[in-house]
Amino acid sequence: MVPDQSAEHSHALTSRRELLCRAGSGLGGLALAHLLAGSGVLPAAPRAGRRALDAKDPHHAPRAKAVIWLFMEGGPSHIDLFDPKPELEKLAGEVAPASFGLPVTSATGSHRMPLMPSNREWKQHGQSGLWVSDWYPHIAEHADALAVIRSCHSDGVNHVGAIRQMNTGSILAGRPSLGAWSAYGLGSANEELPAFVVLTDNMPVRGGPTNWSSGFLPATYQGTLFRREGPPILDLKPPKVVTDRQQRSRLDLLNSLNRHHADRWPSEDEIEARIETYELAYRMQQAAPRAIDLDEESDVTKSLYGMDEEETATFGRNCLLARRLVERGVRFVEAYCGSGIAWDAHSKLEANHTKWCKVSDKPIAGLIADLKARGMLDDTLVVWGGEFGRTPFIDTNSITGKIKEYGRDHNPWGFTIWMAGAGIAGGQVVGATDEIGFRAVDRPYHIHDIHATMLHMLGLDHMFLTYLHNGRAERPTVNGGKLIEEVLA
Amino acid sequence: MLSAFLLLPSFAATAVLAQAGTAGPSGEFTAAQRAYWAFQSVARPAEPVTKDSGWSRNPVDAFLLSALEAKGLGPAAPADRVELLRRAFFDLLGLPPSPDEAQEFLADGSAGAYERLVDRLLASPRYGERWGRHWLDLARFAESGGFETDDTRPNAWRYRDYVIESFNRDKPYDRFVKEQIAGDELWPESFDARLATAFNRHYPEEGNQKDLLLARQETLHEITGVVGSAFLGLTVGCAQCHDHKFDPITQKDYYRLQAFFANVNHVDRFPIVPDEELREYERQLAIWEERTAPIWAEMSDLLMPLRNFTPEQLLSRYPDYVIEAVKKPTRERSPMEAWMVSLLESKDCGTCPLRPKPYLDPLFRNVVKKLEGESKARFEELEGQLNELAHLKPAEIDRGMGIADINDRPPPTHVLGTGLYTNPGQVVQPGFLSILDPSPAAVSKPARGGTTGRRAALAKWLADESNPLTARVMVNRIWHHHFGRGIVATPSDFGMMGERPTHPQMLDWLASEFVDSGWSVKHMHRLVMTSSAYRQSAWPREAGESVTGEGEVANKTFRRGREVDPSNRLLWRFPPSRLEGEVIRDSALAVAGLMNGRVGGPGVFPPLPEGMPMPRGGWATTEAPEEHRRRSVYIFVRRNSPYPMLDAFDFPDTHESCARRNRTTTAPQALALLNGEEPAEWARAFAQRVLTEAGSDEGRQVETAYRLAYSRDPDPAERDTAHSFLDRHAGVFEDGEEGAEPAALPERFPPAVSSEHAAALVDFCLMLLNSNEFVYRF
Repeated sequence: MVPDQSAEHSHALTSRRELLCRAGSGLGGLALAHLLAGSGVLPAAPRAGRRALDAKDPHHAPRAKAVIWLFMEGGPSHIDLFDPKPELEKLAGEVAPASFGLPVTSATGSHRMPLMPSNREWKQHGQSGLWVSDWYPHIAEHADALAVIRSCHSDGVNHVGAIRQMNTGSILAGRPSLGAWSAYGLGSANEELPAFVVLTDNMPVRGGPTNWSSGFLPATYQGTLFRREGPPILDLKPPKVVTDRQQRSRLDLLNSLNRHHADRWPSEDEIEARIETYELAYRMQQAAPRAIDLDEESDVTKSLYGMDEEETATFGRNCLLARRLVERGVRFVEAYCGSGIAWDAHSKLEANHTKWCKVSDKPIAGLIADLKARGMLDDTLVVWGGEFGRTPFIDTNSITGKIKEYGRDHNPWGFTIWMAGAGIAGGQVVGATDEIGFRAVDRPYHIHDIHATMLHMLGLDHMFLTYLHNGRAERPTVNGGKLIEEVLA
Repeated sequence: MLSAFLLLPSFAATAVLAQAGTAGPSGEFTAAQRAYWAFQSVARPAEPVTKDSGWSRNPVDAFLLSALEAKGLGPAAPADRVELLRRAFFDLLGLPPSPDEAQEFLADGSAGAYERLVDRLLASPRYGERWGRHWLDLARFAESGGFETDDTRPNAWRYRDYVIESFNRDKPYDRFVKEQIAGDELWPESFDARLATAFNRHYPEEGNQKDLLLARQETLHEITGVVGSAFLGLTVGCAQCHDHKFDPITQKDYYRLQAFFANVNHVDRFPIVPDEELREYERQLAIWEERTAPIWAEMSDLLMPLRNFTPEQLLSRYPDYVIEAVKKPTRERSPMEAWMVSLLESKDCGTCPLRPKPYLDPLFRNVVKKLEGESKARFEELEGQLNELAHLKPAEIDRGMGIADINDRPPPTHVLGTGLYTNPGQVVQPGFLSILDPSPAAVSKPARGGTTGRRAALAKWLADESNPLTARVMVNRIWHHHFGRGIVATPSDFGMMGERPTHPQMLDWLASEFVDSGWSVKHMHRLVMTSSAYRQSAWPREAGESVTGEGEVANKTFRRGREVDPSNRLLWRFPPSRLEGEVIRDSALAVAGLMNGRVGGPGVFPPLPEGMPMPRGGWATTEAPEEHRRRSVYIFVRRNSPYPMLDAFDFPDTHESCARRNRTTTAPQALALLNGEEPAEWARAFAQRVLTEAGSDEGRQVETAYRLAYSRDPDPAERDTAHSFLDRHAGVFEDGEEGAEPAALPERFPPAVSSEHAAALVDFCLMLLNSNEFVYRF
């Protein structure tokens, strides 16, 4: 028999309690019963009798309360950072043989270009002896905390598709981002802040809001891009001329208008819910600016994150913000480093990565150290990576220049992502690329696997986290995804 | 059963449903599949007989009432006149009635007053703007390409105007379908019909995709899926990689449908001026091109060495199969190669590997600043020469965007393993869903040539009276927008995973009535809106019954309705719903007296909120402020950066066809209406309008504001609330906080009104616009 899912699709205003229990919360959203129209599976039974916007139970005991995703936008060169390739030295200057499985096309046609060795100094670090290049000296100090997955691969040759797939599982727009799925699955732990926050440090992220979109999930779950100056959330503050007393007085009027209206008719849950969003908005006005007020942090902390140096100040601030947000119950923070594809070193790899590694090294190391010191690393998952890695070939665009000006092309066929915290088994390498670092060959892991693993850490099973959309029970991992068990301690 | 299902992971759910007997081996359908309701021809059912014969006004009522009676339910009392008036206005125009319009209707006690109101509204040009927007959701209409660069499609707006105009003129729906699928093949002489083909041009596009066969395949998948869901109400796209898991749509069917589009490419700037004008334009342009050619050539020679990439270098980035295609003489190219070259030729940007005309290349001048010394001087000299010849260049003509076949030789269509072009299987010919018609489609090449005639065959099949889906799907969409929920609650999924119709007989009756009326959408509005069902109240209103202070329902029918049918699927009351973002914004503009009612034309760019990052692709704020106050349907739709106010209220993601918008209630919506710059402007104008119309009398001010915002007078309690607020709130401004800036005031107000009072009135108006009564349709 075909299950009757009609109740899930209805625009009905069901009981208030049911509504509030089922309500998910992204940016303090009251999702309505009918918003879940299409929700084939609610992640878990709500705890009875609790109020709206409460956290929902995960599928299994979570290892992480929150995720901080450090996104090196543009594509960091894995073979110059975490995946040393001695063989590349030998083959330098030659064109890669077809036996490496060269692609039909690459972003700039570089697969027809000669191979280029890494110019880095490599050392083993920590008790585990993890290889990290000299571009990341501070992060290397935390080598024993990192599970370095060297065999990642994905499908997007161009930035926008690749960034989007890293966020949503698909190179095409329209699917929910991982942060949105997390908010859908877990609700919010602090309704006065968004459940999913996005931070940038440079230009706008390529592909823009499609990367933190709720896709076909209700908008309640979409990520909120924090603005770098002024109030972090759009329209958070009334225009300057409006005083707090005035705002309170306005809201009191609104409340009596709405109450009077509601009193004339039998109570309607949806309409009641809308009245509450105004009070929530008012509380958010106080809570959000406090969350980003770094005056509360000591100089020692700030310098730990590199905020006292010009190059590291901006990203350091974002890393510190990420900690403060997670501390306050935000589920998912995505901090872009070099937003607007600054890591995209088609030419002048040396100069480009020297700069952006410097920008990110100390702040990330500071974040790990700070989380550790506060006992937060145990239940915060930290993820580092870009939308892809870079090719071992010299980029077509730079071939005419001098050696120092050489760059590398996009490489979605093999690249590195590392995870730390929240019970990740650190100090280990997972999987491998081929001898030249081009293709993931040993235990290759697709983005879907990375996503399945991140959700698993949050207590969510990617196979159970579904939403009925256009006749299909959609899940975050589309039609793939497997847990990367070896990263778990 | 339901809860058990909810716990199943999706793959297990799939297995459960597969056992239901929907998926069979390719091409073989089970008896159950063949008997599935949506594939049966539409027969006009007889009207059911109901016990309460006094209530029904038309057959719609008879169907609904008999279903209610079967459950021991009855309809709600009729809506009061204000409720009905506002409902009709929001539904058909997406705007509230003005106080005069309200007065006209409320004062007309004669028979047929409401029917005349419906006719008036249907005749308003505002109607097409409202209902056209519903269709634009389905068409995933946007004015840019998405992906990284989100490039503007400068002629996309003509499709928006085409849709609005089609609804306003009550274009027969069968014609509307045909024009959008194959207007260029069926009516090549009609600009409108060719503009209509943009329905299939609104796909997002990765202009930087070098694997052109992949780009082509992605586009074909997109078009096939959208056509399937918008016109057939089926999730055809699910059969891209394998037979549909739940519905009798084979993978082969999917590629048979796709084959109708095998030879299409986008045409983004086809001329839409009369032949003579076009010939004259071309004649003049040829003269100008000829006279300037040597200048362009020399300029190009100066710039080429400075360019980062020569066209040859750009071409070298493409896969070998593209390079080969480009290098072949035209006659030797296979149809697929010809298609690839047509795509490259359509690129008019600096990444085009074929050398475009320099004056069409926006990147041509990018390296001008690198010129030095003599070359620089020479370049400037050449520019001077160009300027001298500028008078020869004819003024740009109007152009449109759409799709068209590139010629009459389509590349073959294969069934693709997992949907990848690199896994071609058997070749298929254009054909329909084989459960409805297994034979290949009868395609005839038009004698004039240049096109395959394939889409014309598809258009005729879709718009044929005997197609069991087309009319059902469209009447259900109309019903969905009137009642907030379709007879089939999943308007673009009539398949197994979608909802079953709540009133299958009524759906068929409506579908048959639709076809019999000559596919008149306005006829269907009239029919639905003049039914007793539509005129029910959203609330209990029967005489002598009221709501107790606790909000409990004293009304028995109402209470029973909630028990028996809590989701109101049987329509025992009218279902209230929150208005869409466009309607909220447009209504606020109208109430404030700010709305600029100009119809049509290129999209407008109202200012973006301060601090918002500049969207990729640009956002050049329209200069004239009155243009910022156009109806929301005219706001430029940048695919990757939806307009924030609309985005907050569930504007659909234009990356896919949207049949049913989400309707969320969130704190960011509250923040947007409470703190946004746009609402602040509405409130100031609204207050000024109140002061202008009511003068300094506070009682009249409150009355005027209520009539504008709610189409009614305030009750005594509301008057009290308003007066005590205005009094208290004026005090907020009198002893303003230290250093506070002056409050927002209307531009002008009568001398007898204090500025504190005026400022309080602004906030009063803002709160009316924020109130539930304003943002809901009851």
